[in-house]
Amino acid sequence: MNSAQIEIQLIASLVAIACAIPGTFLVLRKMAMISDAISHSILPGLVIGFFITQDLNSPLLILLAALTGIITVVLVERIQKTGLVKEDTAIGLVFPALFSIGVILIAKNANDIHLDVDAVLLGELAFAPFDRLIIAGADIGPKSLWVIGTILAITIGLLIAFFKELKISTFDAGLAASLGFSPALIHYGLMTMASITTVGAFDAVGAILVVALMIAPAASAYLLTTDLKKMLGLAIAFGVFSAISGYWLAHWLDASIAGSITTMLGILFLIIYLFAPNKGLIAVMYREKQQRTEVSLLTFLLHLKNHSEERERHVNHLQEHINWQKVRAKTVLDLALKNNMILINNKIVSLTQKGDEFTSKAIDYIITNEDAQIEDMKDDFFLFRG
Amino acid sequence: MENKIVEKSSPLSSGNIAVQVDDLTVAYNYKPVLWDIDLEIPEGVLMAIVGPNGAGKSTLIKAILGILKPIAGSVSIYGKPYDEQRKLVAYVPQKGSVDWDFPTTALDVVMMGTYGSLGWIKRPGQKEKKAALEALEKVGMLPFKGRQISQLSGGQQQRIFLARALVQDASIYFMDEPFQGVDATTEVAIINILKDLRKAGKTVIVVHHDLQTVPEYFDWVTFLNVKKIATGPVKDIFNDDNLTKTYGINYKVSIQE
Repeated sequence: MNSAQIEIQLIASLVAIACAIPGTFLVLRKMAMISDAISHSILPGLVIGFFITQDLNSPLLILLAALTGIITVVLVERIQKTGLVKEDTAIGLVFPALFSIGVILIAKNANDIHLDVDAVLLGELAFAPFDRLIIAGADIGPKSLWVIGTILAITIGLLIAFFKELKISTFDAGLAASLGFSPALIHYGLMTMASITTVGAFDAVGAILVVALMIAPAASAYLLTTDLKKMLGLAIAFGVFSAISGYWLAHWLDASIAGSITTMLGILFLIIYLFAPNKGLIAVMYREKQQRTEVSLLTFLLHLKNHSEERERHVNHLQEHINWQKVRAKTVLDLALKNNMILINNKIVSLTQKGDEFTSKAIDYIITNEDAQIEDMKDDFFLFRG
Repeated sequence: MENKIVEKSSPLSSGNIAVQVDDLTVAYNYKPVLWDIDLEIPEGVLMAIVGPNGAGKSTLIKAILGILKPIAGSVSIYGKPYDEQRKLVAYVPQKGSVDWDFPTTALDVVMMGTYGSLGWIKRPGQKEKKAALEALEKVGMLPFKGRQISQLSGGQQQRIFLARALVQDASIYFMDEPFQGVDATTEVAIINILKDLRKAGKTVIVVHHDLQTVPEYFDWVTFLNVKKIATGPVKDIFNDDNLTKTYGINYKVSIQE
């Protein structure tokens, strides 16, 4: 690896971390689309800032762009508040309007400078190492590394200081308000940070990847954990993993770095969506299948409990009378045997003591819906886990 | 049911007014949902707010707590504006108002009740954790402290919300439909906790739907339907006349012996 390669991976990783933090809260607030809106509508702010400073990394440009980000959020809320259209429609109205103003501004005034729509959408991560920050004649690294590093430091500082406030206002804005933590202030604070991060990351990775880096790692992490801190940690880890593996994918395919990182994010999400232990598609399908079997088991046990006559308790009766197919009947019998709930003597099934107790408890629960008594059953049976 | 009828001990021993609402009007998009409400809630009562859907019951609580901005009127808690008295007040929102899939545990939700006394930036420590565990114990949810909140039943979630209010150790408790969607056992558990709070001299204000249980659970009642219809002791004003005025139809409640 040469130093440019290391610098690109470092920039991509820092961008990934800086995006994953606000992204986690956006996902939890069901505001993922607002990041898409911000990433596009900051363009006019960026362009106007660029006309003034002629420098893509100037702090003024970042501030102006962040300001347009906030204007987007406010406009979306204003339109939504009229009650005439829903939030997604409001987002769809606002950001193309602002984005197109930016496009026109570039086309009219900036044809001869290196700011074009392609660069805005896809970024130029590969060129990032060429734009150096030179202080007092000394080269101290790529400019975008410093820009995103500064933004990341601020983000982390704010996260540590206001973690509790972010958590409570995201989970329960009403409680936050009644306790004196202004949810509006936190909302706009988060939006400002998301806008600043977007602008800072945007030069390096482009508008589309910024959105992907904010949303995909957080959405993947959401499927894997039930702890907010772990969700943040996982989102950061997924972001960095995609940034680095995406870089090497691009290297290997000789393709766009931004595009490859986004592809890695997509693949990562797909894998987690399928295989996550609790919320994943396969786990959910398995659980539903188990629940069906368990309902059958309970039906069967109840039948045994209600009938003492041998005719009703004959193994074949399952198929004949309860009207189950052979496979189903066998699955149920096996499950009951495995849990020591039944005994089979001469093809006559009878409940064991454990089976008898289990049935009473389960029926009791289904009738009274009282949770406390079946806590021990939850571990063994999906049916009672709600 | 052999539940005892509410003890009729006078709640007014201290004579203090816990919550005073003057000329409160709240509007959504210029349509008033609460119209010129005057209300005095004496200290130490266990009060139900009743009224039909859309009567503004939740809105009244939210306006008192500063979550909604009224277009007119004022609220005072023990004679001072709410902003100065936050620490005296605890709030239990409707269970449906939050996302129960949020990645957090029962204990963590209860800990949120301590955030108000901590203020900005400061983080909860061992003292807050201990208080939260005690509150979980009180509502019988200690065994579930580590459970993710979506893995709790509706009744358990409501108990967690109650514990979160208890941990605030407030003087006045506002609760928005705490009995909604809970099983009978939880309902009894919750009402017993509310009665204990009143015994300890706290004021408890509950948005309530089940008119049948009003005389059994509460000693004070406010009838609300956009305007205030009546407020006072249950034994004096909980009658067919006020129910009819509030619900608009000829309303009769058969009160159990």
